[in-house]
Amino acid sequence: MNIKFNNQVPTDREVVLGILNNSEEALNKLYAAYFPMVLQFILNNSGDEDEAKDVYQETIIVLYNKVKEGSFELSSKLKTYIYSVSRRIWLKKLTQRNKKTSNIADFEEVLVVDDDVEQHEQKDLQFDKMQEALENLGEPCKTIIQDFYIHNLSMQDICEKFGYTNADNAKTQKYKCLQRLKKLFFNN
Amino acid sequence: MREADLEAIIEDYLNDKLNTAEREAFEQLRKNDPIIDHKVVAHKVFLDAMAQYSTVVKLKEQLNYAHSQIDVDTLVEAYKPHPSKIVQLWRNNKAAIAVAASFLILAMISIYSIQNNSKQAGSFEAMSRDLAQLKRSQNNLIRNINSKNSSTNRTPVARYGGTGFAVSANGYIATNYHVISGADSVYVQNNKGVSYKVKAIYTDSQNDIAILKITDKSFNLPGLPYAIRRGLSGVGEAVFTLGFPKDDIVLGDGYVSSKTGIDGDTLAYQVAIPVNPGNSGGPLLDNNGNIVGIINGKENKTDGATFAVKSKYIMEALNAIPQDSLSRKVTYGKKSQLQGLKRNKQVERMQDYVFMIKVYN
Repeated sequence: MNIKFNNQVPTDREVVLGILNNSEEALNKLYAAYFPMVLQFILNNSGDEDEAKDVYQETIIVLYNKVKEGSFELSSKLKTYIYSVSRRIWLKKLTQRNKKTSNIADFEEVLVVDDDVEQHEQKDLQFDKMQEALENLGEPCKTIIQDFYIHNLSMQDICEKFGYTNADNAKTQKYKCLQRLKKLFFNN
Repeated sequence: MREADLEAIIEDYLNDKLNTAEREAFEQLRKNDPIIDHKVVAHKVFLDAMAQYSTVVKLKEQLNYAHSQIDVDTLVEAYKPHPSKIVQLWRNNKAAIAVAASFLILAMISIYSIQNNSKQAGSFEAMSRDLAQLKRSQNNLIRNINSKNSSTNRTPVARYGGTGFAVSANGYIATNYHVISGADSVYVQNNKGVSYKVKAIYTDSQNDIAILKITDKSFNLPGLPYAIRRGLSGVGEAVFTLGFPKDDIVLGDGYVSSKTGIDGDTLAYQVAIPVNPGNSGGPLLDNNGNIVGIINGKENKTDGATFAVKSKYIMEALNAIPQDSLSRKVTYGKKSQLQGLKRNKQVERMQDYVFMIKVYN
């Protein structure tokens, strides 16, 4: 099993600085560098490539959040950290499916990353709540909210995009949408 | 103040978009009105969740883009579990296999060392009278040359000798397979010196047992005084044997010294009875006159280490013979008529049932 990753592996420092600077290039490099490792792990432990993708992306999000929070310390190799987080996430999924996790085929050394993964799970819960609330919000509210909060459009832009006669109408509409969304989000 | 305006102010406040005067006024308001304060806190939670959601959505978009740049199929091909079941099994169960293998190795080492420790230095020597007879025939030859007499009407001399014992009243005799193997013709001779021709009915080289049948149909014996013992003999149990190491019957007395034969052979006992060539095939009996085995050899380096095939294999051999041809066969697991008799009486009762085996080839 000595297949070289065909992409250049960025240095650990490069990755951390890249994330802090919102560098897309660094993120792409990071992604390409360690995906094969996680893919190999998942494929050899009763998963498929789609599951590998999900687990790997969750892992990158964990790393990303940790770096952004400033709590990521390069005490171990980034590779080991990514492997350990992916492994932890995958084992939890296997357990949820009632599959046995006693005979795990390992390819790298493993760190204890339970805390990081648990923190991530809390955040992921919030994410799912928000996503569900938005899904249940319906149009045009969903698009208005997404445009304002995610794509950072101004109320003026939204007013024009949706053809409201004046900005006040748009604001009222957004307010109604927001009230409903908050209700959905908090009462869920 | 309308709700919508309040909401807008809260949001601006949280996003730090109020000027200093507005902020102070709002903070005052917040301090005095717990309902407004609650709204601020709730909206902050919401905005944080929204911000995190927004970050993750954007990040996922980017990751999906990065993922699309990867040739996943090629990687899957390279990393998927090996098609060979064995390799896969090995990979999935490395730890378990390693543990199993170490146990196996440990077990093999211990078995090997036990065997080594218990290996007897000597080797097995079958107790037929082979060598003695050869020597004698050589002597005969020399005498012939010296005397220059014609030996044309001399009866052939038996090349081998052994012992056998009756297992039925109508002439079935048990002995060792090695006594009669390779024979052209086999005769048995009783204690009174009368010879009968026999043929081998059953042979078992594995357990070294042969069953012979006296061909003379008129041959008959009174009922057998001894029985075959069902259970195993314990170490230290007194046993005796009758045999023909010479032309007269000889009693050998001793005890069971081990429950296994040479090199731990579980088919046999080791008994401490001095035996000589010719004792092979002789019955081994306990004090009650039950047959516990057949003498079949000794260790060539240790005096008194004799081996005997266990009685249950005699029974197996007898069961292999058509039962209707055995008249009044030896009983199995029943009380022997020899029980309670003194040794000399036992020998007296038995000696008509023990035969010298003579082999010609």
